[in-house]
Amino acid sequence: MSLSRVLRIAKKDFALGPRSPLFLYTLLLPVVLTLVFQVAFGSLFAPQPRLGIVDQGDSEIAELLVAEEGIDVTLIDNEQELKQQVEANDLDAGMVLTPGIDEKIRTGARPPLDFYISGESYASNRIILTVTAIDTLRVVEGGNAPITVNVENFGEAGLPVSTRLIPVIVFYALVMAGVFTPGSSIVEEKEKGTLMALLVTPVRTSEVLAAKWVFGATLALAMSTVTLALNRALGGNALDLLVVLAIAAAMTAMLGLLVGVFSKNSTVLFGLLKGVGWFLFAPAIFYLFPNWPQWIAKLFPLYWIIDPIWQVGVMGERVTTVAFELAVAVAITIALVPLTLWLARRMQAQMAAG
Amino acid sequence: MSRPTVTRKALVAALLKKEALAYSRDTLYLFLTGLVLVMIVVLATVVPDSVEEQITLGVSPPVSELIANATDELKRLGATEQQLAELDEADLAEGDEGLDLVQFETADDLSAVVKGDLEAWRTADGGLVLRDPGSGESKPTDAERLSVSIGIAFPPTFVSDVASKQDGVEVTVFSDASVPPEIQGAMQSFVREAGYQLAGEELPVTMPDEDSIVLGQDRSGDQISLRDKLIPMLAFLILMMETFSMSSLISVEVLQRTVGALLVTPVRVADFLFAKTVFGTGLAFSQGVVVLAIVGAFTTANWSVLMVTMLLGALMFTGIAMVVGSAGKDFIGQLFYSMAYVIPLMIPAFGVLFPGSAAPWIQVLPSYPVIASLVGASVYELGWPELWTSLAYALAWVCVIYIAGLVALKRKVESL
Repeated sequence: MSLSRVLRIAKKDFALGPRSPLFLYTLLLPVVLTLVFQVAFGSLFAPQPRLGIVDQGDSEIAELLVAEEGIDVTLIDNEQELKQQVEANDLDAGMVLTPGIDEKIRTGARPPLDFYISGESYASNRIILTVTAIDTLRVVEGGNAPITVNVENFGEAGLPVSTRLIPVIVFYALVMAGVFTPGSSIVEEKEKGTLMALLVTPVRTSEVLAAKWVFGATLALAMSTVTLALNRALGGNALDLLVVLAIAAAMTAMLGLLVGVFSKNSTVLFGLLKGVGWFLFAPAIFYLFPNWPQWIAKLFPLYWIIDPIWQVGVMGERVTTVAFELAVAVAITIALVPLTLWLARRMQAQMAAG
Repeated sequence: MSRPTVTRKALVAALLKKEALAYSRDTLYLFLTGLVLVMIVVLATVVPDSVEEQITLGVSPPVSELIANATDELKRLGATEQQLAELDEADLAEGDEGLDLVQFETADDLSAVVKGDLEAWRTADGGLVLRDPGSGESKPTDAERLSVSIGIAFPPTFVSDVASKQDGVEVTVFSDASVPPEIQGAMQSFVREAGYQLAGEELPVTMPDEDSIVLGQDRSGDQISLRDKLIPMLAFLILMMETFSMSSLISVEVLQRTVGALLVTPVRVADFLFAKTVFGTGLAFSQGVVVLAIVGAFTTANWSVLMVTMLLGALMFTGIAMVVGSAGKDFIGQLFYSMAYVIPLMIPAFGVLFPGSAAPWIQVLPSYPVIASLVGASVYELGWPELWTSLAYALAWVCVIYIAGLVALKRKVESL
């Protein structure tokens, strides 16, 4: 195998790659997914009770509730709009603070409070919002509580959903750059006949594949690093993370070669990724649901690269703590080499047969 | 010499047969499409069909003990026998709606369970069994493991102490650090308010009647589960996925110019377009309907609305597939081009998972009325009277998109 020929082909892929819409898609995906998952779906998995307030008289109650941790408070202009939003379940509950309500509470006048609950709000949210609102009214009332409440916390706070979504985003960055890009590049060359043209020169199939692997692995390494940086998950040791990401990129690029040489055309490639995508994606879901039996994730091949990224990039562990996982990932990558070469020979025979 | 006349019906039938053959020839793609269908059905089956809307709250000592300990003091404070009997009979251990009370004998037990040192199991008859996971004890049979991550330890004489307005009454809230701040805060508020009520202090405001404060249908205890929400979304995603395969079939015809070959036969452009419409719509529609049927979405009340909605959705995505396919791009180009249409149309489908109504900008997207009708029919069991406006809106979009698809494909075919 000639290294210079491998690098020359890889250079050609890097030069022509940006012309492909897929390349652009690979570059944009981590940014888009970070935005969508962190901003939109972060609130889906960890919803906060939503309270609407119509404050008609600069009430202290509204101020205190806005400052309350864990409650999503929205200030609304009028009661009609508040009722519409509560009925549509855009809010779990809503309250109207009439002018002078603070003073009336302090003087013991017990003013009426317009409080609305959405029929679709969860019972737990109803309780949280109702008791929190009443407790706030008690604060404004100014009396002393007849009891003292002490809080004892145990353990460490769980990781926020935004953090647990990182493996999902990294997965897509790795698969798009490492699997899809080299896979589709091989298929495209097959379809356009340029691969056949290459192979009638002194270039060997193994050199073309090595070049595609370099192309996919480099792109996967770059995109996974960018993704982790966007999600502020670069761990505590850059060198450790680089080792982990390099192995992850190597493995995904090898999978890319495998699907590329296996797929006789783009439809098969797309169908294959559509079908096995679930199998590849499965381990990333387990980070979202820490109560699931985590051993199941180990049955899926990408677990052995996603978990080291999680441990080193997100949890800040050293690379030595994930040495076993990385060794398994390297073993899988090496095991895929003879399979890929065998499929490549079959592909070459098919192309020769026309 | 007279040539045998071929009817338009026979031509279209022949074209449909050709489409089906082209589609079925790729056994791998066919197998994977089936696999995706099966996986979607499996997903819809394994996703929880109930909503956990209660907070599991541990208390110690048991509520009955708190009341029993307070009887003498309450009598001394002037409570009548009848009031005491009412208090005794009230099933306070049931807790409020939204609270699942788990009663522990001692504060130490409660603390150990919240800490994770002990496991709490509820038996079929409602009893509580504590298990030390480190001791090798076997798990109790016919019992459900409880997740108690927050609990309140009252002093045994809490009720009488507060009722008699003693100073220095202290209550401890044990909480796992992972409990969200709003729940921790609410439990503290809950305890303080219980203190106020026992001390005879009225609420500082007059609260409205409970019946009048719930707006909309009260779904407490009967919430829409994630599975129910997923069903219309998955059906919609299947319709959408077929855009890729349909546009691929069209692209291939355009790229390989097989359509040109067809047009030198008695086949007219209209026959070609009609066959593409029937095949694309039929493919997407049948797959979506199969999934809906398997997951049990059809009822006697909603089947007609669901079928019409799926048909409109299938027609909409066939129109998009025609626009994409007529560009005649290679696979990657076609994939990227499809994404440009499909990703914005996916947004309303994911919006279903969020509570409340969709944002105004989502409501103007063409796929919104289709997904809104699917959700209305399959989740809320709405019928024609409630959904006709949404369906009419969907139909308007379908007409626009389908006509755009027809025009694009017709122009492409004629230009070849």
